[in-house]
Amino acid sequence: MIGRLVHLAAALLFAAVFAMPAAVALAQDSGQPDAYTPVEEFSKQLDAFKKSIPELNKKIEDSAASVDRWTDVNKARKEIEELRSIVGAALGAVADNGPVSTLGTQALNHARNKLRALEQDTRFKTEEREFLLEQWRKLREETEQATEELGAARREFAELLRTLQSNEDFIDELMQVRQAQKALEVIQRLTRDIRDASDQLKKLIGAIKPPGV
Amino acid sequence: MRTLAAAGAALALVGCQSTADVGYVEIRTVPVSTNVSQPSLYLDTIKVEPIRKGSAVLTQRVGTTKLATDGAGGQLTLCEIVVKKNRITTVTVTVLERPPRCQCRNAGGSGRTCIS
Repeated sequence: MIGRLVHLAAALLFAAVFAMPAAVALAQDSGQPDAYTPVEEFSKQLDAFKKSIPELNKKIEDSAASVDRWTDVNKARKEIEELRSIVGAALGAVADNGPVSTLGTQALNHARNKLRALEQDTRFKTEEREFLLEQWRKLREETEQATEELGAARREFAELLRTLQSNEDFIDELMQVRQAQKALEVIQRLTRDIRDASDQLKKLIGAIKPPGV
Repeated sequence: MRTLAAAGAALALVGCQSTADVGYVEIRTVPVSTNVSQPSLYLDTIKVEPIRKGSAVLTQRVGTTKLATDGAGGQLTLCEIVVKKNRITTVTVTVLERPPRCQCRNAGGSGRTCIS
Protein backbone atom coordinates (compact mmCIF):
# COMPACT_ATOMS: atom_id res chain seq x y z
CA MET A 1 0.00 0.00 0.00
CA ILE A 2 2.60 2.52 1.13
CA GLY A 3 5.00 1.23 -1.50
CA ARG A 4 2.43 2.12 -4.14
CA LEU A 5 2.14 5.55 -2.63
CA VAL A 6 5.86 6.07 -3.01
CA HIS A 7 5.76 5.08 -6.65
CA LEU A 8 2.81 7.35 -7.21
CA ALA A 9 4.59 10.19 -5.46
CA ALA A 10 7.76 9.65 -7.44
CA ALA A 11 5.83 9.56 -10.72
CA LEU A 12 3.91 12.70 -10.07
CA LEU A 13 6.93 14.58 -8.82
CA PHE A 14 8.71 13.56 -11.97
CA ALA A 15 5.77 14.72 -14.08
CA ALA A 16 5.45 17.99 -12.23
CA VAL A 17 9.10 18.81 -12.64
CA PHE A 18 10.23 17.48 -15.95
CA ALA A 19 7.20 17.98 -18.14
CA MET A 20 7.67 21.70 -18.35
CA PRO A 21 11.19 22.48 -19.45
CA ALA A 22 10.18 23.90 -22.81
CA ALA A 23 8.44 26.94 -21.44
CA VAL A 24 11.34 27.50 -19.11
CA ALA A 25 13.87 27.24 -21.90
CA LEU A 26 11.94 29.59 -24.13
CA ALA A 27 11.72 32.11 -21.38
CA GLN A 28 15.43 31.89 -20.66
CA ASP A 29 16.39 32.31 -24.32
CA SER A 30 14.65 35.64 -24.50
CA GLY A 31 16.57 38.82 -25.04
CA GLN A 32 13.66 40.96 -23.83
CA PRO A 33 13.59 40.69 -20.06
CA ASP A 34 10.68 43.09 -19.53
CA ALA A 35 8.38 41.36 -21.98
CA TYR A 36 9.17 37.95 -20.55
CA THR A 37 9.09 38.84 -16.86
CA PRO A 38 5.95 36.87 -15.86
CA VAL A 39 7.19 33.83 -17.76
CA GLU A 40 10.64 34.16 -16.21
CA GLU A 41 9.16 34.35 -12.74
CA PHE A 42 7.09 31.28 -13.46
CA SER A 43 10.17 29.41 -14.67
CA LYS A 44 12.16 30.47 -11.59
CA GLN A 45 9.42 29.13 -9.36
CA LEU A 46 9.34 25.88 -11.26
CA ASP A 47 13.12 25.62 -10.93
CA ALA A 48 12.92 26.21 -7.18
CA PHE A 49 10.24 23.54 -6.90
CA LYS A 50 12.32 21.19 -9.05
CA LYS A 51 15.36 21.65 -6.80
CA SER A 52 13.33 20.70 -3.74
CA ILE A 53 12.18 17.45 -5.35
CA PRO A 54 15.10 15.01 -4.77
CA GLU A 55 15.11 15.68 -1.03
CA LEU A 56 11.34 15.48 -0.89
CA ASN A 57 11.28 12.22 -2.79
CA LYS A 58 13.89 10.71 -0.47
CA LYS A 59 11.95 11.74 2.60
CA ILE A 60 8.79 10.14 1.22
CA GLU A 61 10.66 6.95 0.40
CA ASP A 62 12.34 6.75 3.85
CA SER A 63 9.12 7.39 5.74
CA ALA A 64 7.10 5.00 3.60
CA ALA A 65 9.67 2.24 4.05
CA SER A 66 9.46 2.50 7.81
CA VAL A 67 5.66 2.57 7.72
CA ASP A 68 5.75 -0.63 5.67
CA ARG A 69 7.49 -2.34 8.57
CA TRP A 70 5.11 -1.03 11.19
CA THR A 71 4.42 -3.04 14.26
CA ASP A 72 3.91 -0.16 16.60
CA VAL A 73 0.77 1.83 15.80
CA ASN A 74 2.06 4.91 17.59
CA LYS A 75 5.18 4.90 15.46
CA ALA A 76 3.20 4.25 12.29
CA ARG A 77 0.91 7.12 13.14
CA LYS A 78 3.86 9.43 13.67
CA GLU A 79 5.41 8.37 10.37
CA ILE A 80 2.17 8.99 8.50
CA GLU A 81 1.93 12.38 10.18
CA GLU A 82 5.42 13.20 8.89
CA LEU A 83 4.50 11.99 5.41
CA ARG A 84 1.41 14.19 5.49
CA SER A 85 3.57 17.14 6.38
CA ILE A 86 5.91 16.46 3.42
CA VAL A 87 3.10 15.93 0.92
CA GLY A 88 1.22 18.90 2.38
CA ALA A 89 4.20 21.17 1.76
CA ALA A 90 4.43 19.95 -1.84
CA LEU A 91 0.69 20.46 -2.32
CA GLY A 92 1.02 23.95 -0.87
CA ALA A 93 3.62 24.79 -3.51
CA VAL A 94 1.33 23.78 -6.38
CA ALA A 95 -2.03 24.78 -4.83
CA ASP A 96 -4.28 27.02 -6.93
CA ASN A 97 -3.57 29.94 -4.61
CA GLY A 98 0.11 28.97 -4.26
CA PRO A 99 3.00 30.94 -5.76
CA VAL A 100 3.78 28.63 -8.69
CA SER A 101 0.18 28.40 -9.94
CA THR A 102 -0.39 32.12 -9.52
CA LEU A 103 2.71 32.88 -11.56
CA GLY A 104 1.65 30.29 -14.14
CA THR A 105 -1.70 32.04 -14.60
CA GLN A 106 0.06 35.40 -14.89
CA ALA A 107 2.51 34.02 -17.45
CA LEU A 108 -0.31 32.54 -19.50
CA ASN A 109 -2.34 35.75 -19.42
CA HIS A 110 0.75 37.69 -20.43
CA ALA A 111 1.41 35.43 -23.42
CA ARG A 112 -2.23 35.64 -24.52
CA ASN A 113 -2.31 39.44 -24.18
CA LYS A 114 0.97 39.73 -26.04
CA LEU A 115 -0.42 37.67 -28.91
CA ARG A 116 -3.54 39.82 -29.10
CA ALA A 117 -1.46 42.99 -29.07
CA LEU A 118 0.96 41.75 -31.73
CA GLU A 119 -1.90 40.81 -34.04
CA GLN A 120 -2.92 44.48 -34.06
CA ASP A 121 0.63 45.84 -34.11
CA THR A 122 1.59 47.69 -37.31
CA ARG A 123 5.15 48.64 -36.35
CA PHE A 124 6.75 45.55 -37.89
CA LYS A 125 7.09 44.12 -41.36
CA THR A 126 4.77 41.20 -42.10
CA GLU A 127 7.52 38.57 -41.79
CA GLU A 128 8.83 40.11 -38.56
CA ARG A 129 5.34 40.16 -37.10
CA GLU A 130 4.76 36.56 -38.18
CA PHE A 131 8.04 35.54 -36.57
CA LEU A 132 7.12 37.22 -33.28
CA LEU A 133 3.62 35.79 -33.39
CA GLU A 134 5.02 32.33 -33.97
CA GLN A 135 7.37 32.70 -30.99
CA TRP A 136 4.57 33.84 -28.71
CA ARG A 137 2.22 31.10 -29.93
CA LYS A 138 4.85 28.53 -29.12
CA LEU A 139 5.41 30.12 -25.73
CA ARG A 140 1.68 30.19 -25.00
CA GLU A 141 1.31 26.52 -25.91
CA GLU A 142 4.28 25.51 -23.76
CA THR A 143 3.00 27.57 -20.83
CA GLU A 144 -0.47 26.05 -21.23
CA GLN A 145 1.10 22.61 -21.17
CA ALA A 146 3.13 23.53 -18.08
CA THR A 147 0.04 24.74 -16.22
CA GLU A 148 -1.81 21.57 -17.27
CA GLU A 149 0.99 19.47 -15.80
CA LEU A 150 0.90 21.54 -12.67
CA GLY A 151 -2.83 20.82 -12.42
CA ALA A 152 -2.14 17.09 -12.79
CA ALA A 153 0.51 17.27 -10.04
CA ARG A 154 -1.98 19.12 -7.83
CA ARG A 155 -4.62 16.42 -8.30
CA GLU A 156 -2.09 13.68 -7.56
CA PHE A 157 -0.77 15.38 -4.40
CA ALA A 158 -4.33 15.96 -3.19
CA GLU A 159 -5.16 12.30 -3.76
CA LEU A 160 -1.97 11.23 -1.99
CA LEU A 161 -2.81 13.40 1.00
CA ARG A 162 -6.32 11.94 1.12
CA THR A 163 -4.90 8.40 1.08
CA LEU A 164 -2.51 9.24 3.93
CA GLN A 165 -5.39 10.78 5.86
CA SER A 166 -7.54 7.70 5.54
CA ASN A 167 -4.56 5.53 6.57
CA GLU A 168 -4.03 7.67 9.63
CA ASP A 169 -7.73 7.61 10.45
CA PHE A 170 -7.64 3.82 10.13
CA ILE A 171 -4.70 3.67 12.55
CA ASP A 172 -6.59 5.92 14.94
CA GLU A 173 -9.53 3.55 14.75
CA LEU A 174 -7.17 0.60 15.38
CA MET A 175 -5.82 2.38 18.44
CA GLN A 176 -9.37 2.91 19.66
CA VAL A 177 -10.07 -0.80 19.16
CA ARG A 178 -6.97 -1.60 21.24
CA GLN A 179 -8.06 0.79 23.96
CA ALA A 180 -11.51 -0.78 23.94
CA GLN A 181 -9.96 -4.26 24.14
CA LYS A 182 -7.88 -3.17 27.14
CA ALA A 183 -10.97 -1.72 28.81
CA LEU A 184 -12.80 -4.97 28.12
CA GLU A 185 -9.96 -6.97 29.70
CA VAL A 186 -10.19 -4.82 32.84
CA ILE A 187 -13.96 -5.35 32.99
CA GLN A 188 -13.55 -9.11 32.48
CA ARG A 189 -10.92 -9.28 35.25
CA LEU A 190 -13.16 -7.28 37.54
CA THR A 191 -16.11 -9.56 36.74
CA ARG A 192 -13.97 -12.62 37.53
CA ASP A 193 -12.88 -11.07 40.83
CA ILE A 194 -16.45 -10.25 41.77
CA ARG A 195 -17.55 -13.77 40.85
CA ASP A 196 -14.74 -15.25 42.99
CA ALA A 197 -15.70 -13.00 45.87
CA SER A 198 -19.32 -13.99 45.43
CA ASP A 199 -18.40 -17.70 45.47
CA GLN A 200 -16.40 -17.17 48.64
CA LEU A 201 -19.33 -15.36 50.17
CA LYS A 202 -21.71 -18.14 49.18
CA LYS A 203 -19.39 -20.69 50.77
CA LEU A 204 -19.22 -18.61 53.89
CA ILE A 205 -22.99 -18.26 54.03
CA GLY A 206 -23.36 -22.00 53.36
CA ALA A 207 -21.02 -22.76 56.23
CA ILE A 208 -23.07 -20.77 58.67
CA LYS A 209 -25.42 -23.08 60.42
CA PRO A 210 -27.87 -21.95 63.02
CA PRO A 211 -27.25 -23.46 66.44
CA GLY A 212 -28.92 -26.81 66.96
CA VAL A 213 -29.20 -27.72 63.25
CA MET B 1 17.13 42.04 -10.36
CA ARG B 2 13.40 42.55 -10.08
CA THR B 3 12.85 38.95 -11.14
CA LEU B 4 15.34 37.67 -8.59
CA ALA B 5 13.64 39.63 -5.84
CA ALA B 6 10.24 38.29 -6.85
CA ALA B 7 11.55 34.74 -6.99
CA GLY B 8 13.18 35.18 -3.59
CA ALA B 9 9.99 36.53 -2.11
CA ALA B 10 7.96 33.69 -3.57
CA LEU B 11 10.45 31.14 -2.27
CA ALA B 12 10.26 32.70 1.16
CA LEU B 13 6.50 32.41 0.90
CA VAL B 14 6.77 28.71 0.09
CA GLY B 15 9.10 28.31 3.07
CA CYS B 16 6.73 30.10 5.42
CA GLN B 17 3.70 28.17 4.23
CA SER B 18 5.35 24.83 4.82
CA THR B 19 5.98 25.64 8.48
CA ALA B 20 2.80 27.59 9.21
CA ASP B 21 -0.36 25.89 10.43
CA VAL B 22 -2.11 25.41 7.15
CA GLY B 23 -4.33 22.79 5.61
CA TYR B 24 -6.04 22.46 2.24
CA VAL B 25 -9.52 22.91 0.89
CA GLU B 26 -10.53 21.17 -2.29
CA ILE B 27 -13.57 22.71 -3.95
CA ARG B 28 -15.20 20.62 -6.63
CA THR B 29 -17.98 21.99 -8.78
CA VAL B 30 -20.67 19.91 -10.44
CA PRO B 31 -21.38 19.89 -13.25
CA VAL B 32 -17.77 20.27 -14.37
CA SER B 33 -18.80 21.88 -17.67
CA THR B 34 -17.55 25.42 -18.03
CA ASN B 35 -20.67 26.33 -20.04
CA VAL B 36 -22.58 26.78 -16.81
CA SER B 37 -22.01 30.24 -15.42
CA GLN B 38 -20.25 29.73 -12.13
CA PRO B 39 -21.45 31.61 -9.09
CA SER B 40 -18.87 33.67 -7.21
CA LEU B 41 -17.46 31.72 -4.29
CA TYR B 42 -15.76 33.12 -1.21
CA LEU B 43 -13.68 31.44 1.45
CA ASP B 44 -14.43 33.70 4.40
CA THR B 45 -14.14 37.04 2.65
CA ILE B 46 -11.60 36.09 -0.01
CA LYS B 47 -12.99 35.56 -3.47
CA VAL B 48 -12.04 32.25 -5.06
CA GLU B 49 -10.76 32.48 -8.63
CA PRO B 50 -13.15 30.86 -11.12
CA ILE B 51 -12.72 27.11 -10.80
CA ARG B 52 -11.23 25.51 -13.89
CA LYS B 53 -12.00 21.93 -14.85
CA GLY B 54 -14.27 21.48 -11.87
CA SER B 55 -11.65 21.44 -9.14
CA ALA B 56 -9.43 23.77 -7.15
CA VAL B 57 -7.10 23.07 -4.25
CA LEU B 58 -6.47 26.02 -1.97
CA THR B 59 -4.11 26.51 0.93
CA GLN B 60 -6.04 27.72 3.95
CA ARG B 61 -5.23 28.56 7.53
CA VAL B 62 -6.16 25.96 10.13
CA GLY B 63 -9.59 26.56 11.65
CA THR B 64 -13.17 26.85 10.51
CA THR B 65 -13.80 28.79 7.36
CA LYS B 66 -17.06 29.75 5.65
CA LEU B 67 -17.79 29.00 2.02
CA ALA B 68 -20.12 31.69 0.74
CA THR B 69 -21.65 33.04 -2.43
CA ASP B 70 -23.25 36.29 -3.45
CA GLY B 71 -26.76 36.59 -2.06
CA ALA B 72 -29.47 39.23 -2.24
CA GLY B 73 -28.45 40.97 0.95
CA GLY B 74 -24.69 40.32 0.79
CA GLN B 75 -22.77 37.11 1.17
CA LEU B 76 -24.75 33.94 1.75
CA THR B 77 -23.02 31.18 3.70
CA LEU B 78 -23.28 27.81 1.96
CA CYS B 79 -21.43 25.72 4.51
CA GLU B 80 -18.56 25.71 6.96
CA ILE B 81 -15.31 23.92 6.32
CA VAL B 82 -13.05 22.66 9.06
CA VAL B 83 -9.41 22.91 8.00
CA LYS B 84 -6.88 20.80 9.89
CA LYS B 85 -3.11 20.97 9.67
CA ASN B 86 -1.72 19.15 6.63
CA ARG B 87 -5.11 17.65 5.89
CA ILE B 88 -7.38 18.17 2.93
CA THR B 89 -11.10 18.85 3.26
CA THR B 90 -13.16 18.27 0.16
CA VAL B 91 -16.43 20.01 -0.59
CA THR B 92 -18.51 19.61 -3.73
CA VAL B 93 -20.62 22.56 -4.79
CA THR B 94 -23.61 21.94 -7.03
CA VAL B 95 -23.63 25.08 -9.12
CA LEU B 96 -26.86 24.40 -11.01
CA GLU B 97 -28.93 25.00 -7.91
CA ARG B 98 -29.77 28.51 -6.75
CA PRO B 99 -28.32 29.11 -4.28
CA PRO B 100 -25.56 26.56 -4.86
CA ARG B 101 -25.45 23.69 -2.41
CA CYS B 102 -22.53 22.15 -0.53
CA GLN B 103 -22.03 18.42 -0.38
CA CYS B 104 -19.43 17.33 2.13
CA ARG B 105 -17.27 14.32 1.45
CA ASN B 106 -17.09 13.92 5.19
CA ALA B 107 -19.78 15.80 7.08
CA GLY B 108 -19.75 16.92 10.68
CA GLY B 109 -22.67 16.69 13.08
CA SER B 110 -24.80 19.48 11.65
CA GLY B 111 -24.48 18.29 8.05
CA ARG B 112 -23.49 21.76 6.86
CA THR B 113 -19.98 21.44 8.18
CA CYS B 114 -17.38 19.69 6.10
CA ILE B 115 -14.50 18.08 7.92
CA SER B 116 -11.37 16.35 6.69
